[in-house]
Amino acid sequence: MKNKTSYAIAAGIAVIMIAFPAFLGAYPLNVARSVMTYMALAISWDMLLRSGQISFGIAGLFGLGSYASALAVLRGGMDPFLSIVFAAVFAGVMAYALGFVVLRLRSMYFSITTLALMEIFRIIIHNLHDFSGGPEGVVLPGVIFKGSASALYWLCLGGLFITIGASYYFEKSKMHLALTAIRNDETSARSNGVDIFKYLLIAFVVTSTLQGMMGAIQVQSYGFTMPDTAFDGNFTLLPLAMALLGGVHSTIGPMAGAVLLGVSAEWLKLQIPYGHLVVYGIIIIIVILFMPQGIVGMVRKASRTGRRSGRKAGASNE
Amino acid sequence: MANKRNATTIVAILAVVVLLLWRPTVIIYGLQAAGLYATIAIPMGLILGIVHIVNLAHGEFMMLAAYATYMLCQSLGIDPYLAMIPVAIVTSAFGFLVYKLTIRQALKAPELNQLILTFGLGIAITQTMNLFFTSQTRKMSFGYVSASIDIGELSFGVYNFVFVGFAILMVIGLRLYLTKTTAGKAALAVGQNPKGAAIVGIDVDKTYGSVFAIATALVGMMGAVFITRSAVFPTVGSPFTMKSFCLVAMAGIGNIPGILGASVLLGISENFLKAFRSLRGWSDIVFFVLIITVILGRSIKGKKA
Amino acid sequence: MSKLTTVGLTKAFSGLVAVNDVSFNMEEGEILGIIGPNGAGKTTFIHLVSGILMPTSGTITFKGQDITYAPAHQRSRMGIARTYQLIHPLENLKVIENVMVGAVFSKDMSLKAARLESERICAELELEGLERDTTQLSILEIKKMEIARALANEPEVLFLDEVMAGLNSDETKHLIATIQRIARERKLAVGVVEHVMGVIRELTQRVIVLEAGELIAEGPYGEVSKNPRVIEAYLGGAA
Repeated sequence: MKNKTSYAIAAGIAVIMIAFPAFLGAYPLNVARSVMTYMALAISWDMLLRSGQISFGIAGLFGLGSYASALAVLRGGMDPFLSIVFAAVFAGVMAYALGFVVLRLRSMYFSITTLALMEIFRIIIHNLHDFSGGPEGVVLPGVIFKGSASALYWLCLGGLFITIGASYYFEKSKMHLALTAIRNDETSARSNGVDIFKYLLIAFVVTSTLQGMMGAIQVQSYGFTMPDTAFDGNFTLLPLAMALLGGVHSTIGPMAGAVLLGVSAEWLKLQIPYGHLVVYGIIIIIVILFMPQGIVGMVRKASRTGRRSGRKAGASNE
Repeated sequence: MANKRNATTIVAILAVVVLLLWRPTVIIYGLQAAGLYATIAIPMGLILGIVHIVNLAHGEFMMLAAYATYMLCQSLGIDPYLAMIPVAIVTSAFGFLVYKLTIRQALKAPELNQLILTFGLGIAITQTMNLFFTSQTRKMSFGYVSASIDIGELSFGVYNFVFVGFAILMVIGLRLYLTKTTAGKAALAVGQNPKGAAIVGIDVDKTYGSVFAIATALVGMMGAVFITRSAVFPTVGSPFTMKSFCLVAMAGIGNIPGILGASVLLGISENFLKAFRSLRGWSDIVFFVLIITVILGRSIKGKKA
Repeated sequence: MSKLTTVGLTKAFSGLVAVNDVSFNMEEGEILGIIGPNGAGKTTFIHLVSGILMPTSGTITFKGQDITYAPAHQRSRMGIARTYQLIHPLENLKVIENVMVGAVFSKDMSLKAARLESERICAELELEGLERDTTQLSILEIKKMEIARALANEPEVLFLDEVMAGLNSDETKHLIATIQRIARERKLAVGVVEHVMGVIRELTQRVIVLEAGELIAEGPYGEVSKNPRVIEAYLGGAA
């Protein structure tokens, strides 16, 4: 019964979000797209984090997706919409190949290597002048869907829905058991039949695909990109801060964090043109030190304490 | 094993000789770059080796020190070398404060929390500077920086050799500190086994604090030297964080002299690529490739053992 | 019928030989004690057999199949399960989910089937409160949860590494009876590492004795405990 209510609420929110273009102007829709992009990235980052691996390379896959899509249109004459699918698959395939190497690493070595990979992608794009346009970047012949604000919004929303769906699947399927077991105790996971490499690879490929897809959607919505935009470190920093603030190891946490920080970021950007990102650094520090479970974790804890008297811990009543 | 090491040494020496004959500047500039990398990586190695924390805000301390030097020198009209000691003291105090207020609180947290924490610290420091100073670059020029030597056809700048000097001094100084002084010996013991060190009565917390203060003092000194030859802007330190981590990982955690060797390898490889006009843009990729190779090599070796 | 066999199993850690040329055999349905002084290589031996460590030389055969270098997760799928000397709860999963991990990944069960199966196993072990967090469990309950998780792998061979450590005498008695019951009902071969000789005497039908990585004696506890070499090993270890 509790499930039914939450499904109804989720469906309601989804409908309202789909209907946004009917009553919002171009600027708010633009802000919404930016928030949704960060939200999708935050969720995808968290999906891998559930296995205990911290990626600092979100911007790398995002940028890779941007360029794969842009170059497929520009050099291969691909249909813009198809190029988004292509870019997502491309990012996934790259992650699959890199995974055989990178996923042998743990803790700080994994994190720093993902950061290094992002830089490698950026430098490669930077240096392949003839193919990638070099540091000046590439300009597409046009914006997808002729630049219709509503269509661009729905495209981005679609990407977000796919990401939420994937994350929800990770939460409700055996991926949840596999990733949590790996995060908590690899030895125990191994001796209970969990093929650690396989599940890490699935998580890495899926999250990279999602990040590549969001990058492709971004580039097709703006019609141009360059290495410093596509591989902007903010695409790593902001999602990370959002997921941490909202609460990690869940779908709802990064979503809450993205709404809070994404909207305030737009406001801050106008107030403080230089250095508004200091807020994100401070949020990361405060969350790690004082509320590692994030907002959602705190709310959950509070509601659990409140309900404790009324609930009996017993065998499953399913 | 010994044979393999000998073979590697011979190949390395041969490579250096060939390079010296063909493009001497690759070696000269390579060594100079190596000096700069090593001076910044060594303090990070010290923290990682003893406190076991990867400080992803490491380069940011260097950047802060460079700004502090810039302001001091601009307002008093003095040379950065005069500002070096006061700046080191200020940076060290700031480093100690950051340790006490943040990193110390996360020492017992999972390693990954510490990583994210210092990542956040780096962002906060960079962006605070961005807030006050904007992203505009600031530079000072000094005559002595352009000193050069001519040997026959060959002409090259010599100033950057100061970094090599500092790097060697740092290694010797730290070695003396860690093996000859009581505090240094205690730090070494804490680095190897914090629990054991605590049992024999060493104040682990105090040791961590002082190691942080020493490391940030060293980084502060180098920030002052850095601004004599380079422009400073808020994100100038970030690449040094990455490069430092790369070098420390290459040398192996706890191996401070090894950082020198790793720096030489990195500096010369980068300048080797820079020697070819068409490959110049790729020189930045060298250390990322090195870091990935080295880390992977280590992890695979570790698995076999 | 012989379930698990090792021949000349050896593990060396950079010069130190932790397990040295151990050949042994485990029969269906038997409860085998693995004893020896501290540092004799008992846990290393279990690590080798369960695939957590790879041997330096020797072979391991399970039901006639060579599994010497099979990875741990494959061995648990084949039917070798274990618990650890130090407890390994998955603290971000509920009790029932902890148990389900074994069923889902070793037996490829759906979540629903795994839940039912896990509930059945927990009932078999008299473990209740399955929706709790692992932090709310007593030591006995955690031990039971770990045994339940191992049983969810549907093993034919189960190793219990010092499962009685930290329990009081009533709890120990209770767990001994439980282990004997499930071994009998499931026709399970159980290998038990234990320091308390009372437990070994009551629980096992046969013991092997390791000293400095070598197998020095084998037989029923009553016989082995009178073996002069074993007595010397223990006295030597104590001195």
